[in-house]
Amino acid sequence: MMKNGFYLRLALDGMRKNRRLYLPYLLTCAGMVMMFYILSSLANSPLMQTMHGGDTMKMTLNLGTIVIAIFALLFLFYTNSFLARRRNKEFGLYNILGMNKRNLSRILLWETLISALFAIAGGLAGGLLFAKLAEMFLLHMAGEKVGYALRVEPGGILMAIAFFALIFALMLTVSLARMRLSKPLDMLKSESAGEKPPKANWLFALAGVILLGAAYYLALSIREPLTALALFFVAVLMVIAATYLLFIAGSVVLCRILQKNKGYYYRPEHFVSVSSMAFRMKRNGAGLASICILATMVLVMLSSTSCLYFGGEDALRGQCPYDMELDAAFDRPSDCTAESLDRLCRLAHDASGGQESGLVSFTTLEVSGYFDGGVLDINSIVRAVDMSSPVSLLEKLRSVEVFPLSDYNRLMGTELSLEPGEAMLWSSDGKYPWDSLTVKGSRTVHIRDTLSTLPVRISTSSTLVTVYCLFVPDWEDYASDVTAYAAGIGADRSDAVCSQSCAFDLPGMDEDEQISVRQALIDAIDGHKDGNSALTSFSIGSRALYRSDFFSAYGSLFFLGIILSIVFIAAAALIIYYKQLSEGYEDQRRFDIMQKVGMTKDEIRRTVNSQVLTVFFAPLLMAGLHLAFAFPFVQKLVRLWGVMNTPLLIATSVICYLAFALFYVFVYRGTARAYYSIVSGGDAR
Amino acid sequence: MSILEVHDLKKVYTSCFGTQKVEALRRVSFSVEQGEYVAVMGESGSGKTTLLNLLAALDRPTSGSVLLDGVDTSALPEKDVAAFRRDQLGFVFQDFNLLDTFTIEDNIYLPLVLAGKSHAEMEKRLTPLARELGISELLKKYPYEISGGQKQRAAVARALITEPKLLLADEPTGALDSRSTDELLGLFAQVNGRGQTIVMVTHSVKAASHATRVLFIRDGEVYHQLYRGRDTNEQLYQKISDTLTVLATGGDR
Ligand SMILES: Nc1ncnc2c1ncn2[C@@H]1O[C@H](COP(=O)(O)OP(=O)(O)OP(=O)(O)O)[C@@H](O)[C@H]1O
Ligand SMILES: [Mg+2]
Repeated sequence: MMKNGFYLRLALDGMRKNRRLYLPYLLTCAGMVMMFYILSSLANSPLMQTMHGGDTMKMTLNLGTIVIAIFALLFLFYTNSFLARRRNKEFGLYNILGMNKRNLSRILLWETLISALFAIAGGLAGGLLFAKLAEMFLLHMAGEKVGYALRVEPGGILMAIAFFALIFALMLTVSLARMRLSKPLDMLKSESAGEKPPKANWLFALAGVILLGAAYYLALSIREPLTALALFFVAVLMVIAATYLLFIAGSVVLCRILQKNKGYYYRPEHFVSVSSMAFRMKRNGAGLASICILATMVLVMLSSTSCLYFGGEDALRGQCPYDMELDAAFDRPSDCTAESLDRLCRLAHDASGGQESGLVSFTTLEVSGYFDGGVLDINSIVRAVDMSSPVSLLEKLRSVEVFPLSDYNRLMGTELSLEPGEAMLWSSDGKYPWDSLTVKGSRTVHIRDTLSTLPVRISTSSTLVTVYCLFVPDWEDYASDVTAYAAGIGADRSDAVCSQSCAFDLPGMDEDEQISVRQALIDAIDGHKDGNSALTSFSIGSRALYRSDFFSAYGSLFFLGIILSIVFIAAAALIIYYKQLSEGYEDQRRFDIMQKVGMTKDEIRRTVNSQVLTVFFAPLLMAGLHLAFAFPFVQKLVRLWGVMNTPLLIATSVICYLAFALFYVFVYRGTARAYYSIVSGGDAR
Repeated sequence: MSILEVHDLKKVYTSCFGTQKVEALRRVSFSVEQGEYVAVMGESGSGKTTLLNLLAALDRPTSGSVLLDGVDTSALPEKDVAAFRRDQLGFVFQDFNLLDTFTIEDNIYLPLVLAGKSHAEMEKRLTPLARELGISELLKKYPYEISGGQKQRAAVARALITEPKLLLADEPTGALDSRSTDELLGLFAQVNGRGQTIVMVTHSVKAASHATRVLFIRDGEVYHQLYRGRDTNEQLYQKISDTLTVLATGGDR
């Protein structure tokens, strides 16, 4: 058993000697455990059952937990392989000094145990400490006033332990297998192995350029939000692949092209930089691409979720243009009479105690279907908008709301008149290039005029699909024909709905009062329902009620965006740090030689500096480019969530980029110090 | 006129905390004539590398001066020293010191590129030199692809391509097998034959026996020197061995 103590000591010694490598690694591991625990414990908090919008929030948080889990798996494997390279050298030495692979396995086992213990225990301790804070932050962002209910989640703790123990066990297995396969001398050499000059892989570089071009083109060419959603992940995968190809193969190819140009290459300011850059990129290409991808993810995540969060009120007002809206659906158009509309208004007036203002009431028929060249086909409609449906079909989806012209005149105080078969039209995207609108198999109306303003504020949540508002003089006939046709082809009733609405604001009432007005309305309507069998359903939208839904969704998304960003940024920082260290060890020798061949210390410092700068800021620039091209995508995705504020999105994108760049410079500066201490440490030789 | 004059050179290394002082060179004076081939010998730790570093102005002497072609290198500012080293001096090291990121050709070009020469000019110089050193076939290869002897010849090419006034070599045969050693020494003799001045630090009697003069350093001082005169390599070899024996046995201070 004394033997065991011996291996434990060797493992501890090894880690202590390489603490420049191990400490950041262990801290990152612990950080991931911590974030994992925080998210899973928040998702399982009893609060999620009680609070409004808790379901959405729980879903978002669970999604975040999964993302962190996958990321932790990938990332820890990556860093572990980096550590393994250094460790192999030490093991090779032990091996030559007479330890066999069984002994080395013991050391490795201890090392993994120590790392796992530190990471999991440290992470959980941090998690328990910060979970409360995270909860307060989350609830604040969701605009919740309810008390805090978080307790220690044994489930979350167990899950974190089980999951991360599994990751460490996997890493141990891989390391052991790798060791079993290697020869001792290889181990000694493995650090300096790979001194071969990088081969320029033209094929991969070209593939990278083409993929990136295609992804960017895709981003720029998409018009409709739903298409953007369907293609977003395709574009993301393309960009990821292209980034790796470009950083790994493209950069080497670029260096080779520069080297071929003798007039350029054989200049003092390019000669050393270009040739060592090729080597640097071969080593670092994958790491830099990872940094670039992580940076892009952080930027896209933060800019979009913060835009949602800060633009949330706009979205809410877009979706609920009035404080309260009472909708009644009818089976038959003939039931939509002026009396029934009046009755709705009276109900609203009574329930709000006469405090309503800006009340509007109107009758509509709503039909939707695929639209092509002035013809709306409700027969072909898919029941639910399905993300897997062909993109070309999604783009054709339209919703048409048909109003009586008399409502328009009443609301606007105008005296417009139209012939039967004629109509006025308003389009949510501001254009309608056809001169008629046909519901396929039913009515055709001639468009007399297009309108630039509507008499009522319509809900812009429906701007996912373009909306056409039609004002016809013979509404009842029109609606009868269309509903009869819809019923005839067996379309769902929601594909052609007649309804009457009454919408109003409640200035001077706080949210609770508004919610009680809604309750009063529900009670009043329940009293009326029996008296009017023609009414099929009512719905009452209250902006006050939606607000908490909105902000629990946007708040938790923003929260998740921040948490994931912290994790990704920490990962990127660790990769940068490791790059700096390994660069430092390599450059130390070069520094020496170049000085002997006649470069001044200053010149050397300058070339090394410019290379290091190029290498480290390339991912940042590339991430900026990705972000810029992702902008049209993000803009449409944010629109899907109801936020249409483009200047806000531009602002959040720019701010996020600047903040990230600042942070990046900060990390660079910090790690550059490690680099220079290594490089100048080589002077003694 | 002497191409290199060393006056009263002294070098004291002070440890980090200033507590310990090592006197690597004490009082070294000698001069080297144009076209000479000087070997410097001495035990390990006697200050040979220190001397060479001072000659190359890679380090500054504690006192004394090094005049190369009449220029006092220890008085030059750092910026000029680098240019001076690049233009006037060539280096060959025990461990070759080729940059693994460059092809052999580019490694050889390095000092010329730093001096701002055009590519055509560089090519014009390299072609005959590569032929002379027998590395014409290797130019496009990378250091990891060639043998130690070949690397050392490439390093010699890099040292000579600037047409330096002085070629400095620190145990150039130290990492070579006997065949490569012979080849390299043959090369040195050959370039010396066409007028190249060489100062070479070495442990090997065989290497030193190719020189025209041998300096012996002990405890930071020039202890003795041998001139070739009309001796053959074998005769010089014998004399060096004898001197070393005397140094090791009877030469106690
Ligand atoms: N940078 C340094 N700092 C402190 N002391 C040094 C330094 N370089 C050399 N010395 C000391 O100066 C003395 C001479 O060293 P030098 O390297 O010149 O010996 P050498 O003759 O080249 O030996 P070898 O034949 O082993 O290469 C030694 O005692 C050495 O310890
Ligand atoms: Mg030495």
